[in-house]
Amino acid sequence: MNTKKIGKIIGDFALPIMLVALIVFFSLMSPAFLTPLNLKNILVQNVHVAVCACAVMIIMISGGCDLSIGYQMSVAAVLVTKLISVNGWPPYLAIILGIALCSLLGTFNGYMGIKLKSSTMIITLGTMAIFQGISYLISGSKTFHNLPDSFMFLGQGTVFGFIPVSVLIMIVIVVLVGFVMGKTAIGRKVYAAGDNPEAARLAGLNVSRIKILSFTVAGVLVGISAILLAARSGSADSGTGVGIEFTGITACVLSGVALKGGEGTLWKVIVAVFVLGVLANGMQLINLGTYPQFIAKGVIMLGSLYLTSRNAQ
Amino acid sequence: MDNVSISFEKGEVHALIGENGAGKSTFIKTLSGAITPTSGTIVFEGKEYSHLEPRQAIDLGIAVVYQELIQFEAMSVADNIFMGVKDEEGFILDDKTRVEKSRELLKIFDCHVDPATLIRDLSIANRQIVELAKAIVKKAKVVVMDEPTAAITMAEQEKLYKVVKQLKESGVTVIYISHRLEELFIICDRVSVLRDGQYVTTCDIKDLTKQDMIKYMVGRELTNAYPPKAPHSDEVIMEVDNVSGNGVHDISFKLHKGEILGFAGLVGAGRTELMHVLYGAAKKEAGTIKINGKEVNFRSTADGMKAGIGLIPEDRKFQGCFIDKPIFWNNSISCIDTLTKAGVVDTKAEMKLAQEYKERLKTKTPTLTQLTSGLSGGNQQKVVIAKALAALPEILIFDEPTRGIDIGARYEIYLLMNELAEQGKAILMVSSDMEELLGMSERIIVLHEGHQSAELQKQEFSQEKVLACASGV
Repeated sequence: MNTKKIGKIIGDFALPIMLVALIVFFSLMSPAFLTPLNLKNILVQNVHVAVCACAVMIIMISGGCDLSIGYQMSVAAVLVTKLISVNGWPPYLAIILGIALCSLLGTFNGYMGIKLKSSTMIITLGTMAIFQGISYLISGSKTFHNLPDSFMFLGQGTVFGFIPVSVLIMIVIVVLVGFVMGKTAIGRKVYAAGDNPEAARLAGLNVSRIKILSFTVAGVLVGISAILLAARSGSADSGTGVGIEFTGITACVLSGVALKGGEGTLWKVIVAVFVLGVLANGMQLINLGTYPQFIAKGVIMLGSLYLTSRNAQ
Repeated sequence: MDNVSISFEKGEVHALIGENGAGKSTFIKTLSGAITPTSGTIVFEGKEYSHLEPRQAIDLGIAVVYQELIQFEAMSVADNIFMGVKDEEGFILDDKTRVEKSRELLKIFDCHVDPATLIRDLSIANRQIVELAKAIVKKAKVVVMDEPTAAITMAEQEKLYKVVKQLKESGVTVIYISHRLEELFIICDRVSVLRDGQYVTTCDIKDLTKQDMIKYMVGRELTNAYPPKAPHSDEVIMEVDNVSGNGVHDISFKLHKGEILGFAGLVGAGRTELMHVLYGAAKKEAGTIKINGKEVNFRSTADGMKAGIGLIPEDRKFQGCFIDKPIFWNNSISCIDTLTKAGVVDTKAEMKLAQEYKERLKTKTPTLTQLTSGLSGGNQQKVVIAKALAALPEILIFDEPTRGIDIGARYEIYLLMNELAEQGKAILMVSSDMEELLGMSERIIVLHEGHQSAELQKQEFSQEKVLACASGV
């Protein structure tokens, strides 16, 4: 085996290696790290991040970027929890409405991207402000508690007494998204539209529709993610989910999803989510608080860009 | 590239020819400092260098006009000409003198563009002249031109030849790379040939014929440039009546099964634009298109494909293929829905399809998972053609099918076009290469500024006639 091949294998498995290295490092640094309870915590705390990262990946592969995801989550979370706790709606109905609304917000983003023929990064910067306003209008800056057990079950319940429901939901979604993106014709078309929109159009693909659809599907995932997060924390306010676009995009960039679209592998994105999750958890345990974590996340983002640019040469 | 030695004399126009992959680009890049040679030396005006840094090459006076021009699109002509010129680097830029100086420089080349125009508003030919003006400002002693005539019109080519002559007369050495062998006889003094990274020979142009050059380039004789084709049937497959849209007006023609119908015109005459209307990639505003007697109205490219039209776009890299995706992936994307079971892609069928087309088009590649970017121009074009053919079209649009492709691969593409036509498919062919257009077409429609200016039958074909109609004379 030549060095080039070895390099490629290391490149493919850089993330799992990084994850293992972080786990070993924090295990040595803190006795509280490698315990079943803490590992379960890491898993459960990152369920909504992983689902969101799926959404970010789909959008990025289609050649877009969505900065408004955090406030989409915020809108869905306050709407659903308000309908349940204040207006007394049955949870399932509120959940369906929340997810539907999120898919609508996503579709709006995608539609604007096509209509205004502008970068979706800037467009979603605009819609982010709109969604923020909508969220605060719904919540009136209040926090919604008093959620029924049936709702909290989604975030805190277990099946067979030990498998968290939220983790099961995440696995189902990841498998589904991975399957659709990797194995189906529609997934292939999303890659094509992101890789080279003009070639895709001339090859007979409806690029506009594919791009908007990617945002719609991502919206559905963001809605689900919002509900998982609200159900886990047992409450929601307009700050719920805000900032998750950063974690999602960092995970995608770290895993090698191309910024220009057309490239990306789901399993790597999920591993990257847990690299970031383990890092946050471990830093907490060795008494490095929230602020150093921000710095660490930023450094990782830039570091992975450096590696990508070096690989490209 | 291996062990190549060529000497260039002051004030000569020296052509560098060879098929794609022969090492011409690599050779230039060692001169411009873009790559460092592993062995050997560069001797410039008596001084020996083991390699050149890009800045060093500029300071020595080596200027390269690349095929894909690297310019500041949103800046003016004057700004582009003076960008990075040392004695101009003050704190405050004197726009007025710059514009005046630029105007004078451009006059040398008989170019009367306003120096305040933005680069992106210029034609390719004028943009090349801007590059040459830049070379003069930088007092270049050697100017390398990489396929300057690949993307410009006949009239502009004439102008470019004059410009090259002017450079030569002022003592500049021009290294001229081209696939168009005819033009070398007009402008060059000597010719060096590369083949597979090896130096073959250098000759005076007057001792050479075109056949000799081809022989040196491919290492064997190619007797017939355009293969003979069986005549087409009388059955009309496509009828275009007074079609307008996308910048073209009132186009009418009939296309027969098994026919190769050529489209001539200057750049900007609307040939590609017309093809896009016919394919559904641009909106038709008036007129009717009938396919097999049935009227069609395309709202998207998908409609055009469904009606049996396939397009091989003019720009291979940006429109034709997905350059950083594998061959099999490119091959199947146009017919991916037919390769699925309940929406899931059948990878076996996909690979089988790619293998089939690889064998049929004789694509040279180690594996089907090879990224398209790693292939030579000719093989990339075969991937583009395979992609179009996989959707099983009855009418094929070949837009500049051999641009930037070497002679061997060209011939294979010509053979393929004939084979497709003989199977009863109809072909619309757009080409700026006049010889190719005359050699391959059975009829030619000439466009001039968006209008149809002539329809020529095979017996009326001549370069002069086509050019006259294309210029609107």
